[in-house]
Amino acid sequence: MNVLDYVKNNLTYLDGGMGTLLQNQGLKPGELPERWNISHPEIITSIHKSYYDAGSNIICTNTFGANCLKFGSEELELIIKAAVGNAKKAREESTGKQEKFIALDIGSLGKLLKPYGDLDFEDAVKAYAKTVKIGAKYGVDLVFIETMNDSLDTKAALLAVKENCNLPVFVSNAYGEDGKLMTGACASAMVAMLEGMGADAVGANCSLGPGQLKGVVEEYLEYASVPVLLKPNAGLPKSADGKTYYDVLPDDFSDTMKEYATLGIRILGGCCGTDPDYIKATVEKTSNITPKPVTYKNRTLVSSYTHAVEFTDKPVLIGERINPTGKKLFKEALRNNNIDYILNEGLRQEEKGVHILDVNVGLPEIDEAEMLKKVCFELQAIIDLPLQIDTTDITAMEAALRRYNGKAMVNSVNGKEENMREVFPLVKKYGGLVVCLTLDEDGIPETAEKRVEIAKKIIKVAAEYGIAKKDLIFDTLAMTISADKNSAKATLKSLNIIKNELGCHTSLGVSNVSFGLPNRDAVNGTFFTLALENGLSAAIMNPNSNEMMKSYYSFKALKGLDENCEDFIKNIEKYMTVSAPVAVQVTGEKAEKGESELQHAVVKGLKEKAANITSVLLKDTDPLKIVNEQIIPALDIVGKGFENKTMYLPQLLMSAEAAQSAFEKIKAKMSESSSKTVSKGKIVIATVQGDIHDIGKNIVKLILENYSFEVFDLGKDVPPEKIVEEAIKQKAPIVGLSALMTTTVPAMAETIKQLKEHAPNVKTIVGGAVLTQEYADSIGADFYAKDAMETVRYSAEIVEKS
Amino acid sequence: MQENTVFVRKFNTEDISPINENEVWRYAGYFGKTYKIESELKKAFEEVKEELKDSFYYKVCFRRMARNCDDLSFMGKSKSLSRFLCDSDEVIIFAATVGVEIDRRISKLGKISPLKMTLANALGAERIEALCDAFCGEIAKKMRSENLFCTKRFSPGYGDLPLSAQKDFFALLDPSRKIGLSLNESLLMSPSKSVTAIFGLTKVSTENSSRKCENCDNLNCEFRKQDTK
Repeated sequence: MNVLDYVKNNLTYLDGGMGTLLQNQGLKPGELPERWNISHPEIITSIHKSYYDAGSNIICTNTFGANCLKFGSEELELIIKAAVGNAKKAREESTGKQEKFIALDIGSLGKLLKPYGDLDFEDAVKAYAKTVKIGAKYGVDLVFIETMNDSLDTKAALLAVKENCNLPVFVSNAYGEDGKLMTGACASAMVAMLEGMGADAVGANCSLGPGQLKGVVEEYLEYASVPVLLKPNAGLPKSADGKTYYDVLPDDFSDTMKEYATLGIRILGGCCGTDPDYIKATVEKTSNITPKPVTYKNRTLVSSYTHAVEFTDKPVLIGERINPTGKKLFKEALRNNNIDYILNEGLRQEEKGVHILDVNVGLPEIDEAEMLKKVCFELQAIIDLPLQIDTTDITAMEAALRRYNGKAMVNSVNGKEENMREVFPLVKKYGGLVVCLTLDEDGIPETAEKRVEIAKKIIKVAAEYGIAKKDLIFDTLAMTISADKNSAKATLKSLNIIKNELGCHTSLGVSNVSFGLPNRDAVNGTFFTLALENGLSAAIMNPNSNEMMKSYYSFKALKGLDENCEDFIKNIEKYMTVSAPVAVQVTGEKAEKGESELQHAVVKGLKEKAANITSVLLKDTDPLKIVNEQIIPALDIVGKGFENKTMYLPQLLMSAEAAQSAFEKIKAKMSESSSKTVSKGKIVIATVQGDIHDIGKNIVKLILENYSFEVFDLGKDVPPEKIVEEAIKQKAPIVGLSALMTTTVPAMAETIKQLKEHAPNVKTIVGGAVLTQEYADSIGADFYAKDAMETVRYSAEIVEKS
Repeated sequence: MQENTVFVRKFNTEDISPINENEVWRYAGYFGKTYKIESELKKAFEEVKEELKDSFYYKVCFRRMARNCDDLSFMGKSKSLSRFLCDSDEVIIFAATVGVEIDRRISKLGKISPLKMTLANALGAERIEALCDAFCGEIAKKMRSENLFCTKRFSPGYGDLPLSAQKDFFALLDPSRKIGLSLNESLLMSPSKSVTAIFGLTKVSTENSSRKCENCDNLNCEFRKQDTK
């Protein structure tokens, strides 16, 4: 019998703890329990058998840590083979009459993935794949991924299972007292991602006793449409009289498990500290319970690595600003690989309160797949909002979806046969909520009826791929009313039908409606309100638009979606005023002797003031004059203070940021008048391969930029080849390298070696916590900079000489 | 406490001493008199504190062991550690972390404000030290019932104990599973605000110097210079 058929009709019992029992049999800490499959097969078999005898339907092979990071491939194969053999033997020997299955047990690789650790996502998938392939070869009934405490790691494991076998797969995560994984994901976020990828059962195990997992259990049962499993610890380990024990005994444990079974948990077992007595007690107390049916949850979710966003009656705001269309600076940033610029667009929208970020980085002359993958990755390193992957390039779509940490929105598919054949398999494989444009081979229909027809077709084809209606969100295409006076009406009408008659969620790129009109905001705000009233679930919009934000908060308040109008009252104020440049009183500011006011502001680190004074000065002063006569001298004062230790790093940075805010005004002015930008010279900087700390490098970058150097920041953990490539591409005379650890200095040495070989004229500057002059000399660096100011001084020298 | 069992101890914010601002400024590279700090700078720090107030969790996993057991034989290679533990029959090894969220916030602030990034980084460093102090303090109190005292703590990279000893610490503590702490190829820990250390249990109280850096051999370190000035 297939395990899924069994689970469908029965409460299903897993086994209990393995580690604790092995320790009782003499397993030493630090010793790898997986080796016992070979060295002590009789003990492993007898433990498995005792669980079957106690009533377990599914026992997990002793392969929690059986992966290629811990074992060589030959040993790995032998271990898994033996582990499956031990389980099979136990199944044969047990006298239990219940259905019996064997699960290939997979635990975490024990390494944090990038960006927080150094394990690459694809390497993790490959590592899990090895274990999966061997396990499947030796004949298990299902795969059990368990005790995963990170969302992306879980995704890697599940993807490896899906790509390498056809076995059913259960996925279990380890939650803390706060109801979150170690890296922050809550249960609903995990349900969204794992169901999207096709997990057959989901749930929680380890870390806590059954009682403490109540909140997690309830969240799973509320969101999951697949069976939910639970495998808690026997409480917490305590010690008394030199012995360790767990503080929840079988009787209490099974009472709580019984309660959860009546709530709807369908697959029950135990983790650390539990033994066959716990399983036996649980089986005895629950075997008379009629299993609560697993129900389909018609809830539309997307998720990030921390939380899920649900589509309900409350409108969802999707920030549209990460998109190069019509944005000169954005395009330039894409061409220059200036990811920080793009990240800042994301950060600003997050601050404005959008729920999801649309990410579009399509530009003909760049490698969109590489860029989209990179931007999504970098965004997810610092922003926890779910992303909407926006591209027409299928390769780019897959690259981004594959690595996305959570369940993404996908923008978009349309009614063209070919397009659906390309997009739907990706959505099926990686999960996703896909935006469906109501257009097809014949273009965008004029009438609402025809758009609805296309929507129906899309629903039908999606179903053929096993994609549920709840994972489709329809965009009925807002077209400008300046070209066709009836276009908004058709959009709204089709929206209404799709929402109310087809029962699907909807989204619109709202601002398209006003293209070509003056004061577009006015139309956009009204159209947004009309669309919401007609059933719009989500708007792809500009959160900087006051009118749109007003519509959003007003609509929520008017429709009873804002308790006590709290959100409205809290937020509306900031959208009521038109932001005008603040007038600055230039005179009357107290400045030190011989210091101008701008200098004073920079030295004292007054960000806003520095920007405002600069704005005023720019009205009648040459920008370069401001830089050379005011900002640079001010920075020199601070720099000298820093070197003489009368000022310290925080003060240096505060001044640098003030100077930067002045520079921003100057740059804006110069790009207006399209005069040449000031660049003292180019510098490529990077934290070397293997090193993931970039605090020092970021500080150096800021100070270099202050002194008008053009900085190409390659980020952290950068391979030598990439640094060489960029130095050559930019014709940069200087490369700055940072390393924090003695263990990463060799990567620095290698980078210098390769630079000397391929770009012999480039000067190298090195810095970082462990470096010294002697160290720098020994690896052949041209200069050791002990801080950011030294980097500036040396770079200026080099540039002047060349 | 049974030998050879790895225990997990989770601390609440209240269990950890309040933020020691002088320490934070020191970690941020400010070695001047803190009363002289400009109000703008103080304001930035207040904002950082507010932004980061929910970014920490405090977890430790630890194990009590006999000093001369086989699993600790790696210590024999380090003269300074052997000397450090010469009065102890037993030791406690532990791994502690304040979690990954602080790393995310530091990265994020790196894109917005290098000043705030630096202050957040310093705050993270102060918090992990405060966690270690809270943990060691708690153990010291418990040990009194066995008439034992605790030495100060010693970490891989101190003295002549190589950073590669991290691998031994990780094998003994399984911190990846216990507290979500992992070791990178380059022996960096993730999350970054984490500590592994060992300390001895002694029958007599050892004089604890209030100066943290005094026993360290890294004479060129700016922190040491400031601490022992």
